[in-house]
Amino acid sequence: MLKQYPTARYILHRGGWYFLTFLVAVTINFFLPRLGASNPVDIIMGKAGSGLDTEAAREKEESYLKEFGLVQVDATGTILRGPDGKPLKSSNVSQFFNYVKMCFQGDFGTSFQKYPKKVTTIIAEAVPWTLALQLPTILFGWLVGNILGALAAYRRGVFDRVFFPLALLLSAVPFFAFGMLLVYVCAIRNSWLPAMGGYAGDMVPGFNLDFFKSAGAHYILPFFSIFLILAGGQAIGMRSMGIYELGTDYIKYAKWLGIKENKILLYLFRNAMLPQLTGLALSLGGMIGGALITEMIFSYPGLGMAILSAIQGQDYPMIQGCTLLVTISVLIANFTVDILIGFLDPRVKAGQMGGN
Amino acid sequence: MMRMNRLGIPLAIAGILLITGCNKETKPAGQEETKAGGFPRSKTLYMGGSQWGDPNSFNPLTDWPAWPVNDKFNIMFETLLAYNTLTGKFEPLLGTLESQSADSVVVTLNPAAKWSDGQPVTSADVKFVYELGKRFKGAATAYAIDFVSDIKVAANADKSERLTFMVNKKGRNNPLVVLDFLQAIRILPAHVFEPKLAQLKDLAEVQKLKCDSNPVVSGPYNLEAYSNEKIILKRREDYWGNAALHGGKLPGPQFIIHPIYKSNDAFAIALAQNELDATQTYIPRIWMKKNAGVLTWYDKEPYFVPGAIPTLLINSTRYPLSDKAFRRAMAFAIDYKSIKDLAVSGYSPDLKPGAIMPFGIEGGYYNEEDAQKYGAAFNVETAKKILAEAGYKSVFKADGSLDKMVDAKGKQVPTLFVKSPAGWSDWEAIVTLAVKGMRAAGIDVREGFVDAGLYWQSQPVGDFDLEMIKPAASVTPSQPWSRLAALMSSRTWAPPGEKMNENQGRFNNPKGKGYIKAVDSLLSVIPTLTDKAALTQAYRQLNVIFMQEQPALPLCYLPEQFYQVNNKTWTNWATDANPYAPPNLPWAGAATKMLWELKPAK
Repeated sequence: MLKQYPTARYILHRGGWYFLTFLVAVTINFFLPRLGASNPVDIIMGKAGSGLDTEAAREKEESYLKEFGLVQVDATGTILRGPDGKPLKSSNVSQFFNYVKMCFQGDFGTSFQKYPKKVTTIIAEAVPWTLALQLPTILFGWLVGNILGALAAYRRGVFDRVFFPLALLLSAVPFFAFGMLLVYVCAIRNSWLPAMGGYAGDMVPGFNLDFFKSAGAHYILPFFSIFLILAGGQAIGMRSMGIYELGTDYIKYAKWLGIKENKILLYLFRNAMLPQLTGLALSLGGMIGGALITEMIFSYPGLGMAILSAIQGQDYPMIQGCTLLVTISVLIANFTVDILIGFLDPRVKAGQMGGN
Repeated sequence: MMRMNRLGIPLAIAGILLITGCNKETKPAGQEETKAGGFPRSKTLYMGGSQWGDPNSFNPLTDWPAWPVNDKFNIMFETLLAYNTLTGKFEPLLGTLESQSADSVVVTLNPAAKWSDGQPVTSADVKFVYELGKRFKGAATAYAIDFVSDIKVAANADKSERLTFMVNKKGRNNPLVVLDFLQAIRILPAHVFEPKLAQLKDLAEVQKLKCDSNPVVSGPYNLEAYSNEKIILKRREDYWGNAALHGGKLPGPQFIIHPIYKSNDAFAIALAQNELDATQTYIPRIWMKKNAGVLTWYDKEPYFVPGAIPTLLINSTRYPLSDKAFRRAMAFAIDYKSIKDLAVSGYSPDLKPGAIMPFGIEGGYYNEEDAQKYGAAFNVETAKKILAEAGYKSVFKADGSLDKMVDAKGKQVPTLFVKSPAGWSDWEAIVTLAVKGMRAAGIDVREGFVDAGLYWQSQPVGDFDLEMIKPAASVTPSQPWSRLAALMSSRTWAPPGEKMNENQGRFNNPKGKGYIKAVDSLLSVIPTLTDKAALTQAYRQLNVIFMQEQPALPLCYLPEQFYQVNNKTWTNWATDANPYAPPNLPWAGAATKMLWELKPAK
């Protein structure tokens, strides 16, 4: 089947594996938070139960357990109890099937900690900020870093001698430290840029010029805190790949043939880029959950903090919703790059043609 | 009413930035212009520290709605009385305290009090909230019926309503906690919520409403807008209390904005940059911010008014912590001065023995003589002496560090761990210093920092050797009773493994050997005492038992309600030099009246 369409077969084959990975990941996403010793209601009770005496605390706890579907109830909504008077916990298996059913309906349930907010609402409010910060940063950082790296490898000389240590330094700086440094220099010592937030403190988001201006000003520091370090790291990788490629026969041959420098640079870039592409896929996949530190330093809106507090609070529905999102984005990014490499890398292409 | 933060806006920003290549034309941060959002800096009060994370709901019937509907803030929904944590007196709000006795508390409703929809605030609204527990066990105020058996309503000569809160004699018989309620439980509009309850039939369904669109409130401010980054309140020009309580004046700020930052540092930066006027967040070494115009209640140590006692709870059911001598030795081994100086930036007066604060409202119940006679103060030699007398031997290594500890029978004493949430940096510092002191005295104790989830879980079931807690932290009319009850009451004693919400260290087992009956009888009699001398005597007795038995180790005093302000935009904040309001941000208790006194800076 599909023997005459090797590309389609390749895509279908990869897609099948990705779907299987997806199913396993979804199952793990469900069970992992539940394997821990702590339980969400105990954490909530730490907050809601302070000052209550023992009986009042127990009643409150049972009302949470019921509301979050963690205990068994009968048709009238009364909690079912064991012989010792303690409520019967609902089984993980029944919760799992409920979870899968809700997933297919696009409903991740209600957050425990942000009750009565829906998980989908929380994600929908936060993801655009995360994407707006991460997507351009990663793409630009990757592109600029790789171009500069390839240039450094090809040109060598003074450019490389200045650029290489700088890139090495940048890539070695932890980005949270760099972020704090940026805040200190650009916002605290000098009032060049706002220190934190996604937009000005006296503003309400809306489609008007003032808001976009303000959001733009607030975007600069978080952007550069990630961009420079990412670009530095990419450049170093690309430079060593480039130097390796420069020694290969096809480059030497191209030079002997007198092909234009830009053209050779293009060949070089295309070949050295392949491993870098896989790196890009990983960064893009991880970007949903990856902005936590940046968010904390700049008090920038986004999903990172929501994921952190969900994990700390054992907020099952929220953890499930976020990990599902992360799973999907990692898989999509990897799948895309897999397919892309299939087209870009002649060796893989050859493998598809003759492959079995 | 605006619901901000629509999808796509940030994406559009990114798009614009990509096209224009980052708009570098920006105004300097801090001193922003006043146009844009329509919240002029000179008319807006920025305060923070009481909302973390996305606002979830503004429904007062849920357990943890967003600021200012959560906790006991009284600028949207109001309490009957406002408690002044500085003077210990009740000030009028929706009602006025008439009298209090062992049987009842009488409050007159202010006849001028009105909801924002024009309806008067009546006894029906009060009864609705206080008696919700009779109908719904899961209600946030359900516990009130254990303490208040009935609210009797009578008319005064001026037609105002007189409410008599009957102490539930068959229940908890505790008028002190009834006073706590009067300054904490916010009165809600029954005429708004009753129809919703009737329509949706179940409280759980009503709790799902967000109540974020033009809610009916009685307080001076109402919800204007909110997003995940801030909550904005707007002054109600027709607030009933302006005429009835404040001589016709309006509160100074037209808007109150609570920005939602993601770390404590952000509040410190915003405060120093005058983007925030006041905050209740922990900022270490506050004196370093003085140059930026940041003020505190006192202008020198301890900077803030103390309100809570971080304490090491001891599990008295575990060996060797079951040994009184061992617990006493621990209390002598800790260097409280170093905790105060190094762990909490000096925000604490010197610690005195016992569980009653030696100053402020509680100061009257503290007895210095008892403290000298029975209390434990830092002294390593005494600690070592007590341990030696009890038969414990400590083995030290050649480098002077502790190797192990052996008891009188020659058996090695197990290493004890102090459970405390990982990442709570001030608590970590306190624990580290306490452990250092105890180890130096030869007690085999180690830090045990755990995930906050495990920490909370371990507490009610008593799954710890020692655990950091802040017993009954709020400053309420029932202090210091509520703190002593939280540390010592065996009223609901349950064996380890089952849950207890007070005395989780399980001191004083009522069925065990050596049960001290006086503890529980004192704890149950103190709330009913009205005679000052008898009350002082009872507290003194209880504190002496605490010092003799040492069921827990108080470590320092920390502010509980406090603020640091930047007065570049708003001035005339209450401070020690001008204490016209208690040291709380103007959104809770009697501190709210500060809103009418704040003046714009010139």
